Order: sequence, then C-alpha cells, then structure tokens
Amino acid sequence: MTGAIFVLTVMGLLLGLVIGITVKFFGTEPDPKVEKIEALLPNANCGGCGFAGCSDFARALAGGKAEPNQCPSTNTETAAQIAALLGVALGVRQPKVAVVLCGGDNTKAAKAALYNGVNDCRAATLVAGGAKACLRGCLGLGACARACPFKAIEITGASLAVVHADVCTGCGKCVATCPRKLIRLVPTSATLHVLCSSPEKGAAKRKKCSAACIGCQKCVKAAAGAVSMEGALARVNYDHQPSPPGAIAEVCPTHCLQPALLDVTPVPTPAASASEVAHA
Amino acid sequence: MPDPWRFHGGVHPDDGKALSAQGAIRKAPLLEKYLVPLQQHIGAPPKLVVAKKATVRRGQVLAEPGGFVSAAIHSPTSGTVSDITECIGPGGSPIPAVEITSDGQDTADTCLEPIADWENAAPDVLKKRVGEAGIVGMGGAAFPTLVKLSPPLAKPIDTLILNGAECEPCLTADYRLMLEMPDRVVAGARIITRILGVKQTWIAIEANKPDAEACVRQKAEGTGIGVQSLRVRYPQGAEKQLIYALTGRKVPAGGLPMDVGCVVQNVGTAVAIAEAVLDGKPLYERVTTVTGTPVVNPGNWRFRVGTPFRAALTLAGGVKEDPAKMISGGPMMGLTVYSLDVSIVKSTSGILLLGPSEVSQFRSGACLHCGRCVDACPMLLTPATLSVQIENERFDLAEKWNAFDCIECGCCAYVCPAKRPLVQHLRRAKAEIMVRRRAAQAAAKR
Amino acid sequence: MGEYFALIVGAILVNNFVLGRFLGICPFLGVSKRLDTALGMAGAVVFVMTLASAVTATVNQYVLLPGAPFSVGDLAYLQTIVFIVVIAALVQIVEVILQRFAPPLYRALGIYLPLITTNCAVLGAALLSAKESHGILKATVFGTASAVGFGLALVLFASLREKLELAQVPECMRGTSIALITAGLLAMVFMGFAGLGG
Repeated sequence: MTGAIFVLTVMGLLLGLVIGITVKFFGTEPDPKVEKIEALLPNANCGGCGFAGCSDFARALAGGKAEPNQCPSTNTETAAQIAALLGVALGVRQPKVAVVLCGGDNTKAAKAALYNGVNDCRAATLVAGGAKACLRGCLGLGACARACPFKAIEITGASLAVVHADVCTGCGKCVATCPRKLIRLVPTSATLHVLCSSPEKGAAKRKKCSAACIGCQKCVKAAAGAVSMEGALARVNYDHQPSPPGAIAEVCPTHCLQPALLDVTPVPTPAASASEVAHA
Repeated sequence: MPDPWRFHGGVHPDDGKALSAQGAIRKAPLLEKYLVPLQQHIGAPPKLVVAKKATVRRGQVLAEPGGFVSAAIHSPTSGTVSDITECIGPGGSPIPAVEITSDGQDTADTCLEPIADWENAAPDVLKKRVGEAGIVGMGGAAFPTLVKLSPPLAKPIDTLILNGAECEPCLTADYRLMLEMPDRVVAGARIITRILGVKQTWIAIEANKPDAEACVRQKAEGTGIGVQSLRVRYPQGAEKQLIYALTGRKVPAGGLPMDVGCVVQNVGTAVAIAEAVLDGKPLYERVTTVTGTPVVNPGNWRFRVGTPFRAALTLAGGVKEDPAKMISGGPMMGLTVYSLDVSIVKSTSGILLLGPSEVSQFRSGACLHCGRCVDACPMLLTPATLSVQIENERFDLAEKWNAFDCIECGCCAYVCPAKRPLVQHLRRAKAEIMVRRRAAQAAAKR
Repeated sequence: MGEYFALIVGAILVNNFVLGRFLGICPFLGVSKRLDTALGMAGAVVFVMTLASAVTATVNQYVLLPGAPFSVGDLAYLQTIVFIVVIAALVQIVEVILQRFAPPLYRALGIYLPLITTNCAVLGAALLSAKESHGILKATVFGTASAVGFGLALVLFASLREKLELAQVPECMRGTSIALITAGLLAMVFMGFAGLGG
C-alpha cells in the first residue's frame, strides 16, 4: 500500500515537472487580448454564440471572426466593453428575415416552355433563361430551399419558394443562391411586401403573370410613404412600415402587395383558388 | 497529309445535313423592324452611341466596343431608332436591344471604304478594319476576332487554320458558303494570313463535303494555302481537336490555341473579313441555316442581324407540324430557345426545329458508372465523376478535375444511357467556377 | 527477426486496432471526414503511441513488476492507473509542441488531440504489451505497428467517406449511420487477413 502511494506520488511529481519544463521552453504565449475578453464573458459555456465554449468565442472575437453581440448571455454593457477592447463599433443587431419577392406561382404566372433538365434554378437559367415567361419570376426549383440550413423555405405545390418567417433566422444563405436575385433580407418588423421584382412595363408583365405589380400606384397613395415607385414597380420602404397593413394591401388589384405573415401560405386569388386546392 | 492525328473520343451522330444542303443561299427580304441585341459577343458589352429617334443608315455604328474584348454593332438597314428596349438574348437572359424601323430605302453608310489594294496594305490597316467592321467568330462562340488577330508578342503564331469542318449536324451554312463563294473564303484566308504574317495556312474541311472541298481547292491553287480533308467525326471542328488533327500540337489544359502557335477562324468569319476589306461592309448580316423536319422549306438565307426567328421561319415556309423544341445553332452545341421573338445575331449559325418524335421526354437517372462518357469525351475529362461532384455542389473538386476544360460539345450527354444532363451540369460548374475565380481575384486585389 | 515481422504484420493487418480489436473508435469516426486531417491524426497517434509504449514499458519493467530494479513490491495491479497518467502527460507535451510548431494541424485536430489521452488504443497497446510481457524494444515496436495500423484504418476510412459524401445515400442513412455501416464492411474486409503472418 505504502509502495503504491510512493510510486504514484513520485511519478506525478516527475511528470508534472516534465510538463512544466516543456511549457516553459516550448509553450506559446497566450494572447492577452483573448484572456481579457474571456474574463468579460460569462464563462457559462452555453454555446449560444455558435462557438465551442467561451474561450473559443473569445479567440474568434480576437481574430475578428465574431461580433461581441453574438453572445446571448452578456448584457449590452459588457458587449460594449468587449467592443471597446477590440476597437470595433458595436453593431446594432437588427433581426432580419428573408422574403422571396415573387408571387407568381404556377397558377398565376405563365410558363413559356417545358423544362426537363437539372433540377436546380441556377442550372435552369442556363437553358434559355428558364421556362417561366417572366424572366424575373421564381423558377421554383428550390436552390434556395436546399441551401437553407433551417429548412425555412418551402417550395409550394405550385412551384413557388416561400419563406416561413417563424423558422427563418435571417442568416442570408439563400440570398446568393437565387439566380434571379428575388430573395431579400428585410427587418422582421416588416409588415408589407410587394411580391414582384420585374421592372418591365405593367402591360407586358400582366400578360405573363396575374400576380404581377402593374404599377397602378394605388398602394403608393394609400400607404403614405411606406411604398414608393421604382420605375414600373412598387417597392416597400422597409424603414417605414405601416402598422395595420391589411387595409393598404387590399387596394392592390393583383394581390401582389401582401401583408407579411409569420407562416406564409400564398393567399389564393379567387380565380386560382380551385386549382390551388388541387395542388395541396 | 493522310489523317495523321486522330483525337480521342468523339461521336458520329446522323448528320441530318441532307435537309438543307441543297438550299442555295438566298437573300432575306427587307423587314419593317429589326430588334438588334446589344451583346452579340463574348466579352464586355458595347456602348450605345445612337439616341432614340435618330436616323441611321445601313452599316452605321449603333454601339462601339466597350473594351478590348468587345465588338462594335452596326445597323442592319437604314431607318430610325424607334426604341431602345430589351430583348431575350441567345442565352435566355434579358439584354439591352435597339429597335430599328426600316425606311425601305436601305441606304448604305459609306464610312468604310473598300481597301482595293489589300495585298499591299499594311497588316495594321487590315487589322483595324476587322475591328471597325465588328467582326466576331461566326462559328458559334462569337469571340471578337480582333482579339484573336492580336496575339501578344510572347506568343508567336505560325499557323492559321480556317475551319470549314462544320461537324455540327444539320447545319449547312458554312458548306454553302464554301460552295458558292470559295473565292471569298480564300480571299479572307489570305487577308488573315497577311494580318498574322503566318508561315502556313490551312483550310480544313470534313470529308463529307467533297464538292465544297473541290471548289475551295480550285480557288486556293497557287496561293500557298493548303486544303485538308478531315476525318468525319464529331467534334472535328472544335478548335483544339482541329489543331491536333492538322498539326499534331496539343493545346495545354486551360490554354489557348495561341499557346501552340495557332489561330483558328471559321470560314464564315473569313468571308465576313473579306467583305469588310474588299467591299467595306461591316458585319450586319450572316448566312444562317433554317432546318429541321417540321420546317416546310429548309435552306440557307442571308439574314440581317436583328431578324426575329419568327420572320426567319416564315421565310422557310413555316412548319408542317408543331415543333417540340427550337434550337439556336445545331443539335449538339446549340442553345434551346423558346421564344420566336429571339433575334438572329452574329453567331446564329442555324435555327433548328425538332419534331415531337425527335425529342425524348426522358427522366434522367443515376449514373451507372458505365464509362461511355469518358470514352466519348474529346477533352479527356470524366463527365461521370464531374457530374456527381457538381450535383453535390463540390465545385472545388470539379475545378480540380478540370471542369473548365469542357468544350460543351455534348458527346458525353449524347452517349449517356442514363440520359444524364451532363453538359448542363458542366455549364453550371463552369459558370460557378468563373464566379469563384473572379471573387478570388477581387479578394487578392484587396 | 521473424518474430518482429509477425508482430508488425499482426498489429497492422490481422489484429488491426480499430477494425480487429475495435479500439480507438472515437477518433476513427470523428477525424475521418477529410483525408488531410486523418493523415495528421494518424501521424500524431503514431508519435504518441510509440512514445507511450516505450515509456509505459520502461515504467512497467523498472518499477511495477515484482523483482524490478526499482520495485517496491508487486505493483502490477497499478498498471492501468500508472499508464493513464503517463499517457496523459505525454499528450499534454505533444499538444504544447504541436501548438508551437504546427498550428494548422493543431487547429485541424481540435478536440481530438486531447482525446488521444482517452484513446483506448494507446492504453490498449500498453496494456497488451504488459500482458504479453514484451520487452521494452518489443513493446515499442508493437506500439508503433499498432499505431500504423490505426492510421491505415483511419486513412482508408477517410478516403471512403470522401467518396461517400458524393454518393446518393437515402435520407435516413446519411451521416453517421452510413459511416458506421462502411466501418463494419471495412472491418469484415480486414477479417480476411486472419492467419496472415502467423
């Protein structure tokens, strides 16, 4: 018994000494900045920032790969202290959500051709620009949905991408995948969307899609600054949102102006409702 | 020189040329309106120099080159610029376009003088004319010819090859050109030879066009230009395969023909250059084959740039049956288009309609790993592996496996028993790799 | 010589640590997603295992076994504890050195480097050597060969997984499940080596 205690004690001392010497001669100096940041962090290792614990997050902060307000457990004051330490401006974290600015699903937008190729929007645009008559319409082949890490984008039965705002985290991964640049990140507080992105003239658009913005400007008059015209296309001013949006949305003759909903299901137009049910 | 170098792979599809081969080149009548796209070449978009409602004459410059790799665009007829709008480009994306309403007079612009004594003119004068006439490669790629004729000093050129292979099935525009105006083909070849100062010039023609070869050979006699008959094999007319067949030189991966001292020009381009120099005529019209089983009178016409496909098909007598597919170009490398409002541009070598029985409504399956595409690929790629990588969006791997060397000839998709859309996959990968390389370049600059 | 040859072949192929003895499964599954990190891990394990085998065998022979030069009684029952302490210390040292001299490899190995401490392959090699009463040299050779076997399995598996990444695997089988099935198949393949080298 005493032998065992003796052997283990001696070995512990010896090995500890060897490690100590190694660290002394070969160890890397810890970054003082990282240490200071670590001291400010809650050190609860909750993982809420997306990094493996507080020290990992501290290293990412020091390396400029993270932002102080990514930590959900610190208050603004501490975050400001860390920001000051890093010498960066503390960005105001405005929660964002993605929205697909097209409402022309199969029941509303005309098809110009039958597409039978690679099942991906970016590949489809390489073949005569895609099968949809509107060259700015959602192709509905789901490149954005596949790119979404949170499965927040659904391709409806009528081939239209819609974002479920309650699931969307606003990470923006989908934005770059859309070959037609239809996806935009907007503040979660947005209450209205113009679900059309075609700059074509109203009459030309109307021929291709019954849900197109025809540029009638009724909404501009009704919304008092929340909607403005950009050529032949109405655009929502996302910094300036009306609070009950329903009344404004109702003036839109093509229903392309839509109130933002948490769980978006395309609002059927009276003419299209029967076929929509068939698709669902 | 008996067929010395055979390229690897390739296919031998039914050439379908009989439909339109007898259709001598006819001049298309003047239209009321032309919609001229403002991007008809690879490279920088040109700068518009006319305003709306301006009066223009035939051959007047509508847009000037917007950079070194760019080309001017000329008015197809005299009249007024009735609208500056947009049209569906050959790739399907909307591009800016100019609408010219004809005044019926078809008055020619006279700013380009014919260079009668071209045999003694300085090469630079001739070269300048190629640029002024807005000439681009007429085989299909539409690369600005002036750039090809201005090789850097570090890359000496000793061989010019005029490409009359026309290996693409169904098309006969180049064949008719060689048959009907062999003197212009040879004149063009001599002008380019003079510009480049090369030692040897070849006119290469596939062996399935013996009559065209005889015509060109007769005209080329005594000019020092060789005429070479080529093995009938698709894609014999692809730049790199053609160079290999004639000289045995291999263009390195990622390289250009100029890396092995060669310049390849289409015979159509040579004719356009001859017309620009001898007649002072800019490139505003081209010979296009309108063909396909549904077409009533297939044949070849000299269309002005900006002629809508609709007018071209009307000229060919319309259709007998509802076509299932319309292709700008040939069946192997052409681009599917669905709108009759698409305009003929400088690179439109053909308009091909396919009937319902000729278009398979396949569903593509998983790769069987049979390796036929590997055997067929003339660029020695492995389309099977590449397509799987691309399906998984591993463009980094695809780049490593030389996806960028793909010439989109379509041999792999032609032989694939699983009907996999291999060329479309590769086109997507090339587009994606291009975006990545540009991003990397921009990042490196910063 | 023949004895050592049999030992090496046996440790690498016949009784491969991962695919024959099922030791060290954690890093085998964890660090096999990419071939280059797998190679780095294999290198680190070879280094640690060689060193650990040599040191533990020395400790065993000179301290723990009855009749050893520095023996304080029969302490063979302490083997497991002492070996773990020795291995843990060694890994600490390797970690410090790697961080200083090969930071990219250090970052790529991440959490798996400290986990070599608890890699049962390392301890397994030491304990097996003790059980078989290998001498110091033999134990070191056995440790190295075992580590090479581990590295071989890791690299093979990583290469397979890089291919698997591109395969059309049914949704429910993606990720770890297909990786485990592949590992099982690979283990069966290695069973084919049974009887090789005696």
